[in-house]
Amino acid sequence: MCPALLENEERCFGGMTFFAQSHPVEVCGSNGLPLTPNSITIYGKSQFLKTIHHPNLSTYLDIIRSKHERIVVVAEYNGDPLNSKKNLNTDDILKIAFQCLLGLRYMNKLGLVHRHLSPENILLNKSGNVQLYNFGLYFMTDCGKNVSFPIGYPKYTAPEVFLSSGVSSPKVDSWSLGMIIAELLLTKSIWSGVKLSQCLRKVLSLIHCETSVFERLAREINCYNIYKDLPDKVKEFVDCCLQIHPLKRKIPEELLKLPIFEKFLLQNEKEIEKNLYMNVIVRKMDELYYLWQLAGGDITVELKKQGLIRSRPPILSIPNLVILLGQMFGRRDTAGLFDLRVVKIPLDTLHQRLSHIPYIANYPWLTDQMRVQSQEELIDAASQLPLIIRERDTEYQFYRIVLYDRLLQVYPITREAIIEEAHKDIPPPVRGAVWAALLGITGDIQKYYDMIDKETPTHTDRQIEVDIPRCHQYSELLSSGAGHERLQRLLKAWVRNNPHYVYWQGLDSLTAPFLYLNFNNEARAFECLSKFIPKYLHKFFLKDNSAIIQEYLGKFSQIIAFHDPQLANHLRSINFVLELFAIPWFLTMFSHVFPLHKILHLWDKLLLGDSSFPLLVGLAILKQLRDSLLTSGFNECILLFSDLPEIDIELCVKDSMMMYQNTPPSITYRKHQFNQPKDINWLEPEPGTEKMPRICVDDFLDLLDNSPDRLIAVDIRNNIQFERGAVVGSINIPFTSVQLSLTHIETLGPHAKPLVENKNSIVVIIGPHDQNNALFADFLIKCGVVGVCSLQGGISALRMKSPNIIVAPR
Amino acid sequence: MNMPEDEFVEKTFIYKFPTCTTNQEYVLEVPLKIPYGGNVKELMYRIMSSFKLPCYVESDLLQSLEHAIKTLTLEFYDEKAEKALEDTISGNLDIEDIIKNWEKTYKQKTAEYADPIGTTDEELFAAAYHKLVHSPSLEPILQAEHKFGRDVTEVIQMRDSHYEQLTQKQTEEMRVAVESLEAGSTEKSINEMAGRHFEEQSLLQGHWGSRVDALKLDQRRQYRNWIMRLLEEQQTNMLPTPVGSPILSMPPIRPALDNFVHSEEKNTAEYPILEESFTIHLGSQMKQMHNIRILTGDVLDFCRTKKSDSGMDPTPQRLQTALGLYSNDLCGLVLLSDNHLGSYSGITKELCSICQLTTEFHFPPIDEQLEKIREDVKDAVAWRQAHQREGNDSQTKRSTGSKSLQTGDVYITRHSNLAQVHVIFHMVVNDSLRSGEFFMLTRVFAKFTGDINSRHSVILGLRNILKTACCNDVTTLTIPILLVHEMSEDMTVAWCTKRAELVFKCVKGFMIEMASWGGAELKNLQFLVPKGMSEEVFGTLATMLPSIFRVSNPLVFKATSTPQTPKK
Repeated sequence: MCPALLENEERCFGGMTFFAQSHPVEVCGSNGLPLTPNSITIYGKSQFLKTIHHPNLSTYLDIIRSKHERIVVVAEYNGDPLNSKKNLNTDDILKIAFQCLLGLRYMNKLGLVHRHLSPENILLNKSGNVQLYNFGLYFMTDCGKNVSFPIGYPKYTAPEVFLSSGVSSPKVDSWSLGMIIAELLLTKSIWSGVKLSQCLRKVLSLIHCETSVFERLAREINCYNIYKDLPDKVKEFVDCCLQIHPLKRKIPEELLKLPIFEKFLLQNEKEIEKNLYMNVIVRKMDELYYLWQLAGGDITVELKKQGLIRSRPPILSIPNLVILLGQMFGRRDTAGLFDLRVVKIPLDTLHQRLSHIPYIANYPWLTDQMRVQSQEELIDAASQLPLIIRERDTEYQFYRIVLYDRLLQVYPITREAIIEEAHKDIPPPVRGAVWAALLGITGDIQKYYDMIDKETPTHTDRQIEVDIPRCHQYSELLSSGAGHERLQRLLKAWVRNNPHYVYWQGLDSLTAPFLYLNFNNEARAFECLSKFIPKYLHKFFLKDNSAIIQEYLGKFSQIIAFHDPQLANHLRSINFVLELFAIPWFLTMFSHVFPLHKILHLWDKLLLGDSSFPLLVGLAILKQLRDSLLTSGFNECILLFSDLPEIDIELCVKDSMMMYQNTPPSITYRKHQFNQPKDINWLEPEPGTEKMPRICVDDFLDLLDNSPDRLIAVDIRNNIQFERGAVVGSINIPFTSVQLSLTHIETLGPHAKPLVENKNSIVVIIGPHDQNNALFADFLIKCGVVGVCSLQGGISALRMKSPNIIVAPR
Repeated sequence: MNMPEDEFVEKTFIYKFPTCTTNQEYVLEVPLKIPYGGNVKELMYRIMSSFKLPCYVESDLLQSLEHAIKTLTLEFYDEKAEKALEDTISGNLDIEDIIKNWEKTYKQKTAEYADPIGTTDEELFAAAYHKLVHSPSLEPILQAEHKFGRDVTEVIQMRDSHYEQLTQKQTEEMRVAVESLEAGSTEKSINEMAGRHFEEQSLLQGHWGSRVDALKLDQRRQYRNWIMRLLEEQQTNMLPTPVGSPILSMPPIRPALDNFVHSEEKNTAEYPILEESFTIHLGSQMKQMHNIRILTGDVLDFCRTKKSDSGMDPTPQRLQTALGLYSNDLCGLVLLSDNHLGSYSGITKELCSICQLTTEFHFPPIDEQLEKIREDVKDAVAWRQAHQREGNDSQTKRSTGSKSLQTGDVYITRHSNLAQVHVIFHMVVNDSLRSGEFFMLTRVFAKFTGDINSRHSVILGLRNILKTACCNDVTTLTIPILLVHEMSEDMTVAWCTKRAELVFKCVKGFMIEMASWGGAELKNLQFLVPKGMSEEVFGTLATMLPSIFRVSNPLVFKATSTPQTPKK
């Protein structure tokens, strides 16, 4: 019998909250822009903490920035704080010390200092293992600079912290740990019930201590007997921690080398080895947190319940007076005290929600085709629902995450399967990794990224600096200091890595989604960008990209004419050329046009299509604006595009997918696209015929074979040639019989009836030479006929490729 | 805490490595900033490439670089800490000072060491009221408030009529006396009479004033007790219907006074109310939705509780205001006033008399609030002097010198007994008394400088208002679009459009800025046009709105079942 999911789950969420320091009124940064609120700075900086996974550190799960500079921090909370434990023997205490040191050593390696070590922040779980809690507070507040409250528990804080301002070194943690362990060993709280000022004075008086601090403390609290009986090695350890002079005090790494920890180190190594294959199917905390939120969990509500967020009615704290310079008077505000309390939230809600899911669903089976067995009918049923709903369904997301997790573990051999699954949808937590997989990223990307020089100044720095504070700044991530810094590094790296290209404005917007998804993985963001640009924007970033943009917009106008001749005619009649709005659309692949959450859904599909897909996205956007466009003149159109109205992105994605499938691929072929298909022999269009969409013989034959009902072939050669041999079912409208100046389809006579009625078919013009084809195509488009294109190479190409389809009509 | 900016030292990292072919050693010297903030690996690769080092030194270089940075950093911190310790031991640092400072920070900033602050009476009452108005007790509460309000209003009307009678009597007496100046009365007797009249007036005023105050005090006490009792009962027995209101215990008001009611209040519907609403989008990528309304009317109509026909039932607006009072959606109003903070003249006086028509149950009465603000103004003036800008800007100089509020300063009063607003932002518009004169002044100003621009103090004051609103959850705000409350003949159409355009555009800018202030978004913004504005001009202003703000796309459902676009 398998246990249910999340049964016996000891891990909890811990929530705490504090206020960032608000800036004094109306100050500007050195660049003249308003200062970033400290809460955003903290938000950006703390993202790094989420990447820290260590058995002795509580994993950070989420940082929430809410109104009025409040920060809420969610982290794993596993066990009970040390101050609730009684009767620990020396061995237990040493184990605690050892595990704390392991955690601290790892933190120091990453350049972090705890600074807030206290018994409340050392958690002991049922099996006696230690996790350090709240270890990132000092880091995320930029060494306390972004908050107004002091970080550190007075009693456990090293004396030099009080004496000199500025950044603390890892050695302050050694001191704090020493104090905590000393207290545990002496089984008595040091200076209990002492007033704050007294406590501070006592800490500072220790600096005059000439002998062992530990001994002195023991005498002070009348525990000298206990002290005397402690083993020498233990005393040595505490003395190493409690050195007044930082010079003599050891850092955690050195402390671990003390002989007393030898056996622990050995044991620890063995355990790591043993556990390597033990907990493969334990779901990660961040996944559980994501699902818990979907199941209705809300940390803010929990904090409110516990009174940690006191909601004082705003009308009670409004100021009396605000003078011109922005200074306020008579404000009745009391909030903003730093409250250390942590709210512990069990996973019950989630456990109930997922209780009926069998345990084995945690680790799906991978078949030899590198596919994951599809789990339930549930998935199929749910996949009919709109994406927005699927993204909020706890159970559905659970299955999807498990599935992707499994596939991504063995990537790249599962790339095919990932692409297949991505056609359904991509759950938000794995989107960064899945996109990387879709773009085919493999190898040691971190090393490659590290090797690129991102520091040396270049002549594009100035422009990058100007653009970054204007790039998707509504996003808390991208507007934070950390966001700006990372975006700058990415852009500089790209420019340095692509010497044949230049930095065009818009590259920042293009990079933003990748950075947003891979905020803690710059290398992956960079690699995604590096793969994305050649795939969709080949040569767009050349110093002289006019030819490429010209061709691209030309294709776009062909696509518009092909799918929506009426709109094309209207735009032409008011002289509204595509250059007026479409360049930023395509240069940034719409990332300059839409907010990030829409780009993500759009690019989910974009990444599955080829380089022609963006053209159809552009058309789908036009389709939503169509009604306003058709009734607008030139000026209104300019206004409309300069401040684009809200676009329904799901509809846009759906429309573009549908039109993508209805467009013969050869129509969108471009000379400057990356990886031109081999089967097409590119023919330079004759001058004057560039505006006409053209279909290649293969696509034509494919249509003829597979869906002849969707094809209307119009042969514009003269009667004699037509009589000699033509495509079966084609209509003959000799070019010479057409009066081009009369744009009425009726002038073509009864032959043209299928053209008039055409709704969904493709009209292929077969003619002897391009000039006439182009004129005739233009004529049809002006008449409002949809799906007009001409056959590349005309009848002769057809005859060469597949002579048997040409027969004499009679 | 003040931290020194970016402390660091320059150190040199020396790296030696042997060559393969000769016995020589290569030596590199790299300057390092300690503490080093960047990525060590990247630094290593940069060193490799700039010195063109062979790849076999890579791991060795990384190791020694990491080691060097680690030791140097520790040394740096140790030195700093040692120095501080030394200073302390030698007595250069005053320990008592340090302890005091730290104690202060801990006490002021952390909940653990701060003096415990309980919930204040204000908060308790707020919580109780908020809970009750969101329960079935809402109706009796509103009824009680309304009844109380009517009682006060009646007494006030009584006072006014007595006052009027007295004045009439005195005028008559005076007229008679002056007419018979030669025959009988002397200048002296007239002076005496004037003195007596004045005394009578003050006596009457004092009499009624104390009567109204006593009534209000009594009402307030009763009301607040009742509310708390109501909450208690509701919590204990979950009564669906609340206990009886305190009205019954009130002394009955003499019915004889009924004929005073309904005498005024008839001139409000003089002008037709024009209004138009829009839903707009702001922002280039992420779009924020807001409702915008432009309407004509008198600014104080937002404050006046309109009497319903029967006079017995509270108006629906009161319901709205009661529900929102302690919520996170407050309604605010911008009132242009003078810097005298007085209730003796101008629009503030009118506002005061409206406020005083009924009892303020939640906040101090308006005159007390103004009194408190006057005290804050002293602080503000002191602050302004202390922060005298080094800039030579004549305007700032002039304003910093003065003892009172300046143009663009804003004082704020809170109300629970007005029709549609909770918070009034009184923006000081100039030194003279009336907003009408402000107009005169700006007109003169306009002649010379081409009207106010976006850097004018009034506009900056408007920005402060929006910011305060944002930080304090005021989500509905009414702004006089022309920055005047009354129309006058010399306001030309051109002037109106120009002023409106300026305000529209500035407010739009502030609203975009608002997204970064981290408070509540303004949901409803109302632009108030002075009443009496002609329909054409109003139309011009209304059409200006959608051209300045981007009106959101209406969702259009098409009757035809076939999709219109590309093909199908």
